[in-house]
Amino acid sequence: MMNITPSLATLTTLFHYGSVTLITVLSGLGVGLGQGISSYSAFKSIDRQPAAQPEISKTLVLALAIIETSAIISLIFTMILFFRTPTDFYSSFAQLGIALALGIPGFVIGIAAGLPAYAALKSISRQPFFSRKIMNAMLLTQSVIQTPVIFGFLVSMIIFYQLGNVVNMADALRLIASGLCIGVGAIGPAIGLGWFTYKSAQAIGINKDIYGQILSFTLISQAIIETPVIFSAIISLWISRIAILPTSSIMPGIVCLAAAIVMGIGTFAPGISSGFTAASAVNQIAYKPNLYGILAKTSMITQGLIDTCAIYTFIIALSLIIIGL
Amino acid sequence: MGGLDLFAHDMWYPLSFLGFTHQFFGLNSGTIINTWIVLAALTLVSLIARYFLYYPGSIGGYLVKNIIISFQDLITQSLGKFVYKYFAFITSLFVFIISCNWIGVLPLVEEPTKDLNTTLALGIMSFLYIQKEAIFKHGPINYIKDFFEPIFLMLPLNILGELATIVSISFRLFGNIFGGSIIMSIFEQAIGDSWIWNTVTTISGINIIIMVFFVLFEGFLQAFVFSILSLTNLTMAVYEEPGEHLI
Repeated sequence: MMNITPSLATLTTLFHYGSVTLITVLSGLGVGLGQGISSYSAFKSIDRQPAAQPEISKTLVLALAIIETSAIISLIFTMILFFRTPTDFYSSFAQLGIALALGIPGFVIGIAAGLPAYAALKSISRQPFFSRKIMNAMLLTQSVIQTPVIFGFLVSMIIFYQLGNVVNMADALRLIASGLCIGVGAIGPAIGLGWFTYKSAQAIGINKDIYGQILSFTLISQAIIETPVIFSAIISLWISRIAILPTSSIMPGIVCLAAAIVMGIGTFAPGISSGFTAASAVNQIAYKPNLYGILAKTSMITQGLIDTCAIYTFIIALSLIIIGL
Repeated sequence: MGGLDLFAHDMWYPLSFLGFTHQFFGLNSGTIINTWIVLAALTLVSLIARYFLYYPGSIGGYLVKNIIISFQDLITQSLGKFVYKYFAFITSLFVFIISCNWIGVLPLVEEPTKDLNTTLALGIMSFLYIQKEAIFKHGPINYIKDFFEPIFLMLPLNILGELATIVSISFRLFGNIFGGSIIMSIFEQAIGDSWIWNTVTTISGINIIIMVFFVLFEGFLQAFVFSILSLTNLTMAVYEEPGEHLI
């Protein structure tokens, strides 16, 4: 008979290398899909408008470079983690927090950043003489989309500097919760952002005359859609600053985990529905430019009301942390 | 391990002789010095811009005028008309934040916006200004009445929604600039003292590319987002009649 009960040393190694690979695999998968989407669109656009080939290629290269941001950030962390020797089980287990904080946002943001590139390249084939401004709008929107990855990076940096102090299960769970909160919290807003920027890049292709208004509306709406990510980042940073005694039981760790799950899942619906609201507004703006004022205002008020749900979960998560501990 | 605390600041307690040694009364000396450096740089830039404006045909004068005109257009587009005090407020917010974000390119100087206190102060300032404008525009009674819309029970939610704008606007700026500066410092550490890496990255332009993206581009973008969000909140607060050309 073979003994299949894993020893503690095996588990330590498993979690160490598991988290290292999870970061790269997840963000690489998302970035690869996003780049695939945009390259596919580039070939279709060249097929439709062969004369615009130089502009389309130039835009494609820049788009791919920005989509790659999350992969590069994850690569930095993979290298940092790879050269860290796992010392004990708990700190190795807590590395999963870094994997969640970088891997999940890397995956969703990689795909989400590909969608505006897809629509922008298609728009260039529609309006070849307007390619410069379409490209500028695409670069701005894509860079604003990267915000969750930067927050994930920040949280993982803070987790990384605390790995050496982890001595018990509660502390390890706390660090995992910190990563889980920003990781899961990025999913819903990323879906919303991807769909909205797709529609807004399409809208510039439909009606180039109101480029200025669409661009400012896009930036404002993106900022509003991203608000739930900021709330989960605040909860994440808050959890990562909690001090847990070496002698404490597992309970504080579970409270942190609960707060992280509340906040993470709470951003799901606000992010998605806020993005879809703004997407239909920007589509209407492209067809009825004279109604810009009323459409934009209605969309922003609705998005503000939708974000209130994220504020409720934020309050619940905060009270879990403050009262529960 | 565990040595570097990312939130550590050099603290200075000016009121300690009175017994106020709580963290609340401390000042982050590094942030204050950096902010003064930003203000000095801004003064220098505005003096240079003023010098250019005396020569109507110069390239510098053309650039300065173009920047001002683009801001005028932004205000006119958003508010439907040009209001000088709003233009002055939004433009100075933008100019101050962008110089705070870009001052990190100078050696030994760090971005003041890397500190949460600066961004929170900016957010609270913009919030208070907007509330003041709303009160002056609609009168105190209408202003308070707005909080009871659409029904009485919505009062706490409306107040929370207003306060949440401060949090979201200031944490957005803080998180992006802080993340960018950490990426830059990791890059510097990775190059380290090795002269081979220093030469290779300098000659190939990797240094410049990383700095342009994470400091200049990101800094510009976040400053723009901050000021345009303040402008939108302002527009929502001071609009006159529903259905008019608002945004």
